[in-house]
Amino acid sequence: MKRKHRGTRYFYIVTYIAMILVTVIVTVGFLRVYLRTDPRSSRNETYDKYYVLVTDDRESAFWQSVYKGASDYGLNHNVYVESLGEGISNDYTKAELMRMAIASKVDGIILNADESEEMEQLISEAMDASIPVVTVNNDCSNSRRISYVEVGNYNLSKEYSKQIMEIAGNMITEEGQMVKVAVIVNSVPSSGQSIISAGIQESIENSVDFSNLISLDLVTVDESNSFAVEESIRDLFMQESLPDIIVCLNELDTTCVYQAVVDFNKVGQVHILGYYDSTTILQGIDREIIDSTIKIDTVEMGELAVEALLSYERVGFVNQYNTVDIILINNTNIREYYTEGSNETQVQ
Amino acid sequence: MKHKFSDFPLQLKIAFIYVLSSVLILVVNMSLLIGITTVSARLQRTYEDNLSLNEMTKALSDVQSSMTQYLNVKSSDSLEEYYISEQTYRNLINELNVEVTDSNADVMQRNIKYMSEEYLDLVSQTVEAKRGRNVEKYRQRYELATEMYNFINSYIDSLNTRQFEDNSKTYSEISRSLRSMQNISLIVIIAVIVTNAFAIINYTGRLIRPLRVLSRSADEVAKGNFDVELPRVESKDEIGVVTKAFNKMVVSIRNYIDQIKENMELERQHKEKELMMETHLKDAQLKYLQAQINPHFLFNTLNAGAQLAMMEGADKTYEFVQNMSEFFRYNINKNDEIIKLRDEIELVNHYMFIINVRFAGEINFIKDIDESLLDADIPSMIIQPLVENAVNHGVRNVEYDKVITVSVKRVENNVCVSVKDNGVGMSEEIINEILSGNKKKRTDSMDSNGVGLDNVIERLKIFLDSDDVMSIVSEGKNKGTEFLFYLPVKETDYV
Repeated sequence: MKRKHRGTRYFYIVTYIAMILVTVIVTVGFLRVYLRTDPRSSRNETYDKYYVLVTDDRESAFWQSVYKGASDYGLNHNVYVESLGEGISNDYTKAELMRMAIASKVDGIILNADESEEMEQLISEAMDASIPVVTVNNDCSNSRRISYVEVGNYNLSKEYSKQIMEIAGNMITEEGQMVKVAVIVNSVPSSGQSIISAGIQESIENSVDFSNLISLDLVTVDESNSFAVEESIRDLFMQESLPDIIVCLNELDTTCVYQAVVDFNKVGQVHILGYYDSTTILQGIDREIIDSTIKIDTVEMGELAVEALLSYERVGFVNQYNTVDIILINNTNIREYYTEGSNETQVQ
Repeated sequence: MKHKFSDFPLQLKIAFIYVLSSVLILVVNMSLLIGITTVSARLQRTYEDNLSLNEMTKALSDVQSSMTQYLNVKSSDSLEEYYISEQTYRNLINELNVEVTDSNADVMQRNIKYMSEEYLDLVSQTVEAKRGRNVEKYRQRYELATEMYNFINSYIDSLNTRQFEDNSKTYSEISRSLRSMQNISLIVIIAVIVTNAFAIINYTGRLIRPLRVLSRSADEVAKGNFDVELPRVESKDEIGVVTKAFNKMVVSIRNYIDQIKENMELERQHKEKELMMETHLKDAQLKYLQAQINPHFLFNTLNAGAQLAMMEGADKTYEFVQNMSEFFRYNINKNDEIIKLRDEIELVNHYMFIINVRFAGEINFIKDIDESLLDADIPSMIIQPLVENAVNHGVRNVEYDKVITVSVKRVENNVCVSVKDNGVGMSEEIINEILSGNKKKRTDSMDSNGVGLDNVIERLKIFLDSDDVMSIVSEGKNKGTEFLFYLPVKETDYV
């Protein structure tokens, strides 16, 4: 009886202690959970190196993908890669971003360059400040950049030429007239585009069958400000005679041309040879508005850029050229890359 | 020796419960309060990094404006101002993060810091060039510095916006958490209070239980039930002491009651014994009296029989002897004390026959009897002694016709038996003497069968269980005497 009584008393004491413990645990747990949401109290991963990607078209799927490739690869190698300008409200040009990067004493710059003198000079400045620069997609060939990661531009031009001649062949059989081909190039000269357009020109001129049947024009679009590209392409469609084939050499041009063709109701009249495999472009192919596009392994592009910077850091030199693979996507193999409904962007 | 908790005084126990639950509530409230205070303190600090960024913007703009001022007017004031603001700004940027982390804000801080250093460098170059009057250089440096200034401003703005967004998110999260914490606190407090209340109710119930048991037992005892189960003494506190005392008291009372009961039982047995003895004595007396009757009477009758045999022939003798034998037979057989009235009347018949033989038919014997009442019970030898008394003392010496009447009739619910003579009568004095039993027995009378009136009355008293059993009526000298007594009617008489 006594023992039972004592047991009861212990039971009460245990109950009280349990109540106190529960409360304390609830409070402590609560504090832990909610103070973890405090950004300052959380520990962020720190990195040894800080590279920046400098491009003027950050938002495009192409560069997003390149950035992702670079970033993921960097994170695995203790490098934090930032798409410079991403978090800043103002919009800056590549040159300004370069100056920012240099002033910020970054450890490396991945640059979508162009052949301008200013760019050349900025790359020199960076190299003087011991910041290695790797150019991607578009080179600044005369600069002191350590490496260039390119799309196989010459191969790309061959691929475009083949496509053009195929389409032209069909049109000539039907109508027997000159086929007008417009290659959209940007106002600021870039090595990539130059190589491609030159390659296309060369291929057509060398072709016995088509050299006299295809007239190739380089249409320069203004990219001096944010929306100029789109306006330039619209201007193209306002003209009296439309080209039969439009070759686009970047993602933005492709998307704009695709949209313009739909808006101006020129589907079927204008053939589009696109560039890059964004969802919108793939959708265009699926709807047979865009004839074909070039899929570029953008992830690999980002990875190669980071890899180049890392090996330069490590051994002091690196391959001057790195080439990224390309794949042609048209309506024969579109299913491998795109299924209806998986699209996120719709052409309005 | 170690004290057990259950042996502590009641006050201490109750105080213990109070202190324990107070401590509980205190700890619960304290911890909840700490939680809430911490979270609200955090809430207040939410926007402080925005404030520090604003401060930085202001310092930066001070640097820029003081530099511009200096370039404009080259005053020593503005130069001093420049130095002060430059130092302020440098101090501020020194607090910035320089690590590269996956937090965008950290990276932005790092970039701001490096760009600011670059900027300050450019500014100082500008100022130097201005001092050295190198117009070309300071203009160029000024351009660069201003561009850098814009970059930094833009960066700080963006960081500010970003942190503001983050902080707003944090703020709303924390304030939400604060709200839910308040709710949880409320629930916890209510739960703790309810549990505490249950525990206290339970515990005090346990504490009071012996008291309740005690009060139930006391109530039982108050109702007179002393056989209650004695409450167990579980503790040495006040309740234990009271319980122990109560138990002792109950045991004592029980013992007293047992003792009283025992005494009463003894007394009762004693009384019973006394009564038995009395009864036996009476019985013995009766037996003795009855035994006394026979020899006298037998003697007298035998005398009468002898006289008759001398004077007359066989017939009458026969009848006489017959009656005698009946009479004796009755005396022998009906000696079992309670008999039927019928038998008693029969006995009187025989007696009167015998007496009339003795008195040569002088006595006129009249019976006025309701036959239906003859089954009534009566002790033996009641009427015959009365008749004998009437013969011996009533009519024996009168000169006129002697009449003795025996009547049996119903008076209300009783059987009224009357023995009446027309003899000498009886004075009031004698009647009272007889009824009170004080009349001296006349043992000298040889004519009696030995059963005196006092005996008859005594036995009737015992039989009827009453003191007033007989009435004697006499209206005066030579007006006769009537003996009256009442017997209960036997139920079968009605049938």
